[in-house]
Amino acid sequence: MSERPRHRPPPWRQLAHALLALAALLAAPARADESYGRDAVVRHLCEAKSEPMAQAIGALLTAVAAGREEAAWGARIVAALDGKRLLCAPAGPRLLRDGAVLRDPVTGREAVAPDRLPNAPFVNLRTRAWVEVATAALALFAEPGGAAASAQVAVLEKQYAIVPETALAALVERQPAPDLRDRLLLVRALQSLEAPSADARVSAIATIAGDPTARNRTLLAALAARPDYAADPAVRAALDTAMAHIDTWLRVGEVGAVLFSGLSYASILFMAALGLAVIFGLMGVINLAQGELIMIGAYATWLVQEALRALAPALLDWYLLLAVPVAFAAAAAVGMAMEATVIRHLYRRPLMTLLATWAISLFLVNLVQVLFGTQNLEFVTPAFLAGGTRVVADFMVTWNRLFAIAFAVGILALALLVLHRTPLGLFVRAVTENRDMAECVGVSTRRIDLLSFGVGSGLAGLAGLALTPIYNVNPTMGTNFIVDSFLVVVLGGVGNLAGTLIAALGIGQINIVIEPLYGAVAAKVIVLLMIILFIQFRPEGIFSVKGRR
Amino acid sequence: MNALAPTIVRRRGFAVPQGLAGPVAAVLAAAAVAVVVAGRTDAGPSVYLMNLVGQAAVYGLLAVALDLIWGYAGILSLGHGLYFAIGGYLIAMHLVTVAFHTSGTPPDFMLFMGWTELPVYYAGMDMLGYSAALILLLPALVAFLFGLVSFRSRVTGVYFAIITQALVYVAMLLFFRNDTGFGGNNGMTGFTHIAGQPLSERGTVAVLCALSLLAAAAALFGLDRLVRSRFGHMLVAVRDDEARLRFLGYDTLWIKLAVWCLSAVLAAVAGALYVPQVGIVNPRVLSPELSLEIAVWVAIGGRGTLVGAFLGAVVITTLKFLLTAWIPVLWPFVLSALVLVVVITLPNGFLDAGGALARLRRRAAGGEGRA
Amino acid sequence: MMRITSAIGRRTLLKTAAAVGGALSMPAIIRSAAAAEPVKIGCLFSSSGTMANIEGRLSHVCRMAAQEINAKGGVLGRPVEVTVTDPASDWPLYAQLGRQLLLQEKVASLFGCWTSVSRKSVLPVVEQNNGLLFYPLHFEGEENSKNVVYLNSPPASSVLPALEYLMSDDGGKAKRFYMLGSDYVWPRTINKICKGYWTSKGFKETSWREQYVPFGFSNFQTIVNDIRKFASEPGGQPIIVLTVVGDSIPAFFKEIISQGIRATDIPVLGLDVLEADLEGLDTAPMVGHLNCWAYLQNASSPHNDRFKAAWKSYVDTNRLPFRNNVVIDPMVSTYDGVHLWAAACQKAGTTDTDAVRAAFAGLTFDCPSGYKIGMSAENTYVSRGVFIGSVNDQQAFDILWQSDGAPKPVPFSPYA
Repeated sequence: MSERPRHRPPPWRQLAHALLALAALLAAPARADESYGRDAVVRHLCEAKSEPMAQAIGALLTAVAAGREEAAWGARIVAALDGKRLLCAPAGPRLLRDGAVLRDPVTGREAVAPDRLPNAPFVNLRTRAWVEVATAALALFAEPGGAAASAQVAVLEKQYAIVPETALAALVERQPAPDLRDRLLLVRALQSLEAPSADARVSAIATIAGDPTARNRTLLAALAARPDYAADPAVRAALDTAMAHIDTWLRVGEVGAVLFSGLSYASILFMAALGLAVIFGLMGVINLAQGELIMIGAYATWLVQEALRALAPALLDWYLLLAVPVAFAAAAAVGMAMEATVIRHLYRRPLMTLLATWAISLFLVNLVQVLFGTQNLEFVTPAFLAGGTRVVADFMVTWNRLFAIAFAVGILALALLVLHRTPLGLFVRAVTENRDMAECVGVSTRRIDLLSFGVGSGLAGLAGLALTPIYNVNPTMGTNFIVDSFLVVVLGGVGNLAGTLIAALGIGQINIVIEPLYGAVAAKVIVLLMIILFIQFRPEGIFSVKGRR
Repeated sequence: MNALAPTIVRRRGFAVPQGLAGPVAAVLAAAAVAVVVAGRTDAGPSVYLMNLVGQAAVYGLLAVALDLIWGYAGILSLGHGLYFAIGGYLIAMHLVTVAFHTSGTPPDFMLFMGWTELPVYYAGMDMLGYSAALILLLPALVAFLFGLVSFRSRVTGVYFAIITQALVYVAMLLFFRNDTGFGGNNGMTGFTHIAGQPLSERGTVAVLCALSLLAAAAALFGLDRLVRSRFGHMLVAVRDDEARLRFLGYDTLWIKLAVWCLSAVLAAVAGALYVPQVGIVNPRVLSPELSLEIAVWVAIGGRGTLVGAFLGAVVITTLKFLLTAWIPVLWPFVLSALVLVVVITLPNGFLDAGGALARLRRRAAGGEGRA
Repeated sequence: MMRITSAIGRRTLLKTAAAVGGALSMPAIIRSAAAAEPVKIGCLFSSSGTMANIEGRLSHVCRMAAQEINAKGGVLGRPVEVTVTDPASDWPLYAQLGRQLLLQEKVASLFGCWTSVSRKSVLPVVEQNNGLLFYPLHFEGEENSKNVVYLNSPPASSVLPALEYLMSDDGGKAKRFYMLGSDYVWPRTINKICKGYWTSKGFKETSWREQYVPFGFSNFQTIVNDIRKFASEPGGQPIIVLTVVGDSIPAFFKEIISQGIRATDIPVLGLDVLEADLEGLDTAPMVGHLNCWAYLQNASSPHNDRFKAAWKSYVDTNRLPFRNNVVIDPMVSTYDGVHLWAAACQKAGTTDTDAVRAAFAGLTFDCPSGYKIGMSAENTYVSRGVFIGSVNDQQAFDILWQSDGAPKPVPFSPYA
C-alpha cells in the first residue's frame, strides 16, 4: 500500500528502501483496484489491529480520490470509528450506531439490534493518525472550500508521511483556493523529496524552504547527509540555500516567540498586580486577600457563562466580554465590603491590615470552597480564543494569550483614564501623595478610600476574568499570585502605575529569556535574586513617589 | 519586684500591659522542671501532650524572635522562616548523620541520589557540639550579610519585608532540588537518637519539651531585660524615627544589625528544637505562607509585647491543631472569624483585652477615650 | 455539570455546625467513652488548601467503606467509626494530626496522605508509635516501612509497561523522550527509572531531555515552545513523560491544546493525570494522550459497577460537592485499604497492629478494578493490576491495555 515509513532508515538500507517504495507505489493502485470494496474496508476496520486498519483507511482514501467511492460514505464510516459508534462482534454482525438507530455500515440500511451490543474497535495512537488524516481529507473531498478547510490542510501537513499519494494529487487538483493549494503542494513536496528525478527534488526543496519550520529544517538536514542527495550539485546547492533560508527565519521566529511569551507573562503579572498597586499605593494596605479578589472575578465570569448557557445559549461564545462588568462589580463589591467592615477600623494602622486581610483571605477561600466545591471550573473556550496561528517559522501566537495581552492593555487604559481624567482619580492621587493635606482641603478621605478600594478590587476581578482561558479556576487559585504581584508592585515603586507596568514587563521578559537556558526553577530563582539586588540599589523601587509619609 | 505587679505603660494613648514577661517566663521554667520530672515517671502528662506543648513553645519562641525586630525595631520580616529552617536543617543534618553512622542505613536522599557517602558539608555533623555551634553561628552569619547589605542601602518598610519574602522563596525553590543534598521536597526524616537518647522514648520527649519551654522562658526573660535597657530604647527610637536618631549621631546600622542577627539566632534555635519533636524537616518551613503566619501570630497577640507574641503563636497553633481534628470542615471559618474579631475589637492584640475593656468603661462613663 | 446552590452550602454548614456544637462541648476523651465500643480508624486527607480538590474525596470513601463494613456486622462484631481530620495541605500538620489520632483518639489505623512529603511526615509518627498507615497513592518506591501499607503500585510495575507500549508499533514507536515534571522527589525518581530503562534498551542520552518546574507552576508557554522544538529535531517519534502534579496538569494541557499539539503529534504519558484532573478541560483535542494507574473509571467488572453505583448514591445522599460520576484510582485504593484492613482484623481476631500486620499475608480482595488484589508475607505492598488509559472526549480514560494478572510489586526498582 501507499503507506510511507515516517522516519528515514539508515543509509545502508537506502537502495533497498527506494526500490521497495517504488514497487509499492507502482503496485498500490493496481491492488486497490482489485480488492477495494466497502465490505473489506469495514471488515479490516473491525479487526482492531493497527496494520489492517491503516490499510483499510488508505484504500478508502485512494478509492475516493479515484472516484470509486463516495466521500460521504467514507466520512460517515471514519466518524463512526472515531466516535466508537462502529460496533463489531468478533464473528457476528457489524453495526453502525446512528443516534438511537442501528444501521448496516455498508448499505446504511436499518439493522436489527442484537441482544447484546458488540464492542467498538479501539483506535490506538497509530490508527488515530490515520483517522485524523482520513477525516481531514474526506472533508476536503466533500467540500474543498469549506470553512474548516485551512485546519484540515494543517492536519495533512502534520501527517504528510501517511497521506496516500493519489489522494493528495486529487486534493491539489480540486482545491480552488490558491493559498490552500500551495499548502497542499507543500505536503506533496514533503513526499516527493524521495522522488527519483533531480528536478523534482530541487523544486520540492524550494517549496519546503517556503515554509521555514524546524521540522522541515530537520528533514532537509537529513537529506543533506545522504550520499545520493549530496552527490548531485544542483540538489546540494538547493539544499544549502533552503537550509540557510530556513535558519534565518527560525531565528526571527525564536526572537518573536521570546518577545511574545515575555509579553504574555508580563501581562498576567501586570493584571494581577495592578489592583494591588492602586490599593497599596493609596493606603499602604498589604492586602493579602488580593489573590482571592482575582478568584472572585473568575468565579463571577463562570456564573455569567452558566447564566448565558441557561438563558441565552446563542450568546455563550461572548460570555468573556459580557462578564466584564459583572466580574468588575463582583470583585469591587467584595472589596468595598471588606473596606467598610474591617479595613476602615484599622485606619492608620496598615500593618494590622496584614492580619485582617490574611483572615479574610482564609475565609473567602473556604467560603467559595463550600459554595462551589473544590474542583477546577470548566470554561467553554469561545471559538475566537481556541488555538492559535503560526506567525513566522515556529513562532506561534495563541489567541488566549493575545486576548490576555489586549485585555491588560485595556485595563491599563481604564486605570489611567480613571486616575487621570476623573475627579475620583484626582482625589485618589491627592490622597496618595498627602493624605492630611487632602483632608484639609476638603477631600473626604474615607469615601476616597472606599471607592479606590473598590476600583482596585474591581481591577483584580478583571484580571481573574482574563486569566480564565489560561489558568485553572479553583478556590485556591489566588494564592499563586500573591508573592509575584507584591514583587511587581514593590519593584515598580509603591503607588506608581508606570513602575508597576515596567516591573511586570521586566520580570516577565527576563524570566522567559532565562527559562529555556536554565529551566523554570532556576529562572525563578535568578529573577528573585535580581530583584533583591535591585532593591539594594533603588530601595524604593524603580520609580519612587515623592510623597510625604 | 516590679515583675510581680504588671505596670501599665502609656504608649500613643493605648494602654498595653508590660512586664508580664517575667512571670510568664517563670511559669514556663517551672513547667519545664515539672515536665522533666514527669518524664522520668509514668505519671503526669501523656507523651502526646508533652509533644504538643513542646511544639507550641517553639512556635512561641519563633514569634518572640520576630516580635523583637518587628515590634521593637520596626523591621518587618516576611521571611523569618529562613532562619527557622536553617536551625531545623542543621539539627536534621546532625540527626541524620548520627542515624547513618549508628545504624548504617543511609538516609533516603542518598538512596535517591545513588550516593554512598554523605556530602562534604556533612563533615563533623555527627558531633552535637559542632552542630549546636553552627546553629548559633550560621544564621547569624546569613542574617549579618543580608542585613548589612540591606540596612546599608537603607531598604526599609514594605520593601524590606518583600525582599525577605523573596529570599525565603528562593531558599524554598533551592531546597526542593534533590541534588542539594537536603532531601528535596521530602526533606529529611528517619531520626533515631539525639544525644544518645532514643527520640521515641517518653523521657526524651519530656526533655525536648522542657528545653523548648526553657528556651522560650529564657528568651522572654532576657529580651524583656534587653528591651527595657538603653539598647531597647534605642530600638524603639529606630522604629519611631530612624532619621532623627541618625541626625542625633547614632549609627543605626549597627543597632539594627545587632538585633536582626539576634532575632535570626533565636529563630534558628526554635527551628533546632522544632525538628526533633516533629521528626521531619522539609521545605515547607521555607514557604512564604509560614513566614507570613509568624507575622500573623505576632500581630494577633500584640505586636511590641513579647508575651503577647508568644501567646499569640501558642494560641493560634494550638487552635489549629485541635480545630482541624475536631471540626475539619469549619475550622477555617472559626479561625478567620476569631482573628477578625480580635483585629477589630482589640487593636493591640488580645493581650490588650484589659486595656480595651478599660477604654470601653471610660467611654461608658462619658470619658474622652479614643476608639 | 457541577451541582452548586447556596442552599447546599448552607445546609452542609448548618449540619456541620450542629455536629460541631455537640463535639466541641465535650472533650475528646469523653466523646470516645460515650460511644458503644466502636473500632476507630482515622483519616488524614486535606479538605482545605491546595490538595483539597483531589484529597477531599478520600475521607468520604473511607466513610463509605466503613458503612459497607458496618452493614455486614462491623469488624470483630464492633462497628467501625471514621474520625476525619483536615491537615489543610500543610505537611507538618499531617504528622501532628497523625499523632493526635494515634495517641489521643486511639484509632486502630490511619488512612491518609497523597503527596510523598505528607507520607514522609507521618512516617516517623507511625514508626515511633507502631501504628499502621494505609497509603493510597502510587509513588516513587524505594521505601519499605513495616508501618505503611502501600496500596498502590511502585513505579516499576506501572510506568514501565506504559513506556513499553509507547515504544511499540501500536504506540507510535517512540524514540525520543521529553520528561517534564514538578521539581521534587517523585518526578525525579520516576525519570531516573525511565532513563535507566531506556539506557538498558540501548538509547543514548541525546534521545531525552529533562525539564522541571516549581510547584504550582502554570505558565507553560515557553516550555511547550521548547517541546515543539524538541519534537522537530531528528531521531524519531517524540513523546512527553509528564510528571507535573496538581494544578500544573490542567494548565499544561490547556497550553498544548492551544498550541495545537495532538496525541498523534506528540503523545503525553501523564503519570499523575486522573479523571479528576480532566474535570475543567475540554478533552476533545486531548483524545489519545495516555496515563497509567492501577484502576481506571472505565474498568469493566461487576465490582466496578457496584462501586460506582455506591459512590453515586453516597454523593447524592450526602450532597457532597463532587461529581457523582467521577471516581479516581486513589479512591479505589482507599476503599481497598479499608476492606483489607477489616479483613485482616477479622483474621487476626484483634485490631492490634502487629497481629493485623501478620494477618496481611495471603489476604485477597475483589478490587473494583476487576483484579483480585492481594498481599504477601514479603512486604506491606499490595499487588494490583495495571491499566494504561487513553483520554477520550468524555473527560475520562478508555482502557488501552491492562495487565494479565496483578504483578508482584517491586519496591526497589533495578533502574533507580
